[in-house]
Amino acid sequence: MKIIAFLLLCTSISVYGQAQQDLSHLFDSTGPAHPKVLYTYKGTRIIMGHSTDMLRKHELDFRVDHRFGDLGGEFGGSKTFYGIDNSTDIRIGLEYGITDRLMAGLGRSKGSGEQRQLIDLLVKYKLVEQTQDGHVPVSVALLGTAVMSAMTSEEDPHKAAWFGDASDRMSYVAQSIVSRKFGDRLAFSLSPTYVHRNRVGYMDMNNMFALGVGGRLKVSKRIGIVAEYFYPFRSQASRDYYKSQGITFYNPLGVGLEIETGGHVFHINFTNSTAIQETQFIPETTTSWLQGQFRWGFNISRRFTLFGKKDWKK
Amino acid sequence: MKNLFLLFSLVIITSAVSAQDVFSCKNTRFSFFSSAPLEDIEAKTDKGVSAINVKTGAIYFKVPIASFQFRKKLMQDHFNQNYLESDKFPFAEFKGKVVENTDLSRNGTYEVTVEGMLNLHGVDKAYREKGTITVKDGNITAGSTFNIRVADHRIDVPSMVVKNVAEVVAVTVNAVYTAVVNR
Repeated sequence: MKIIAFLLLCTSISVYGQAQQDLSHLFDSTGPAHPKVLYTYKGTRIIMGHSTDMLRKHELDFRVDHRFGDLGGEFGGSKTFYGIDNSTDIRIGLEYGITDRLMAGLGRSKGSGEQRQLIDLLVKYKLVEQTQDGHVPVSVALLGTAVMSAMTSEEDPHKAAWFGDASDRMSYVAQSIVSRKFGDRLAFSLSPTYVHRNRVGYMDMNNMFALGVGGRLKVSKRIGIVAEYFYPFRSQASRDYYKSQGITFYNPLGVGLEIETGGHVFHINFTNSTAIQETQFIPETTTSWLQGQFRWGFNISRRFTLFGKKDWKK
Repeated sequence: MKNLFLLFSLVIITSAVSAQDVFSCKNTRFSFFSSAPLEDIEAKTDKGVSAINVKTGAIYFKVPIASFQFRKKLMQDHFNQNYLESDKFPFAEFKGKVVENTDLSRNGTYEVTVEGMLNLHGVDKAYREKGTITVKDGNITAGSTFNIRVADHRIDVPSMVVKNVAEVVAVTVNAVYTAVVNR
């Protein structure tokens, strides 16, 4: 009995002694219980489509997205300086972080389909954030976009850009983006998308589902390789009809480099799609990589922080 | 049996004594400020933790890097992704002790020197810095401002942004301790 008591005493003393030396054990569980995975992508876009990353509260993002003309093929080559003389689509947008989880944006783009002179309004909400301990395995964001064409109506009532009334000018996108970051270099996304266009050409689809896949591989702290692909579920009947009219639909594919330079995120990319809006590049891509009908483009994002200067000083 | 009883009471007494020696703070405030030709950078957090043993003078700080808040969130992104690499090195940790033989169980304000090891960005470096500890009726507050040279902790600033990020960052720490009971 005495021996046990002695041993116990020794143990308790040694534990006590250790406690005196090292105070770190008091905080073994310091930090948030499920730390969030940060920075899945560098910005709010992967290439053509949205990522799960958000603007933060009071952040204003000024964006210029540009797609040049065909690099090769019938309309490319040296006569257009490999597409640089042409621009198929340009978007200038202002986007704003209302909260850390909610952002809204307004943009104007040239448009690159039947309908042109587009004004878009977008809202993105971050539903779920991936955590480092796997408690939440993915990040999920929801995107809603409404696009209006401001162009003058076509004369021919069979065309998709003939507007009987204002609602004919509208198209919509609802998308959920599910992404997961693997380690600190690789990210992967799936984007189930629904496109609704109020007005389409004969045998085209007003409602179309599409599935987007995208990813990013970080090659250095400031440079990443990004890739994105959309598979639109167009009906065979519609496909066949357009084929008989000499129009083949292709699935948009983009590859690019994203480079962070201080306040900018600069994107250089190559895509076969000519358009920037989801309502157009998903259902209306008729240009093919294999025929040299891809183009280089860039997305520039410049972020500013508004408000809060006074609050911050306190 | 008697011995055992004696032993248990002894253990209980010892832990009770030690409990009064250790004080902790669960919302230790850290802030830092750097002034460079192009912009001032400022960040703060109150998510740090700290503990002090008034008997031995041992002192401890730990802060989650990702908890630092910047007014410009883009700076916060760069801080976490490019400079401090907070997913690889999520915490900064300091283990040290008060050099002077100060009796921190008595009321008073003490100018102390603390020396110890700071692990920041995965790099250990010894520091010896001045601080102030105030003891009043069992409440302890501690504060210090000291400089960290970013190069000492292998935090690379590319030449492109060298005008935006200062070489030396002034760090301020403030903790209000309460006695640790029921350890």
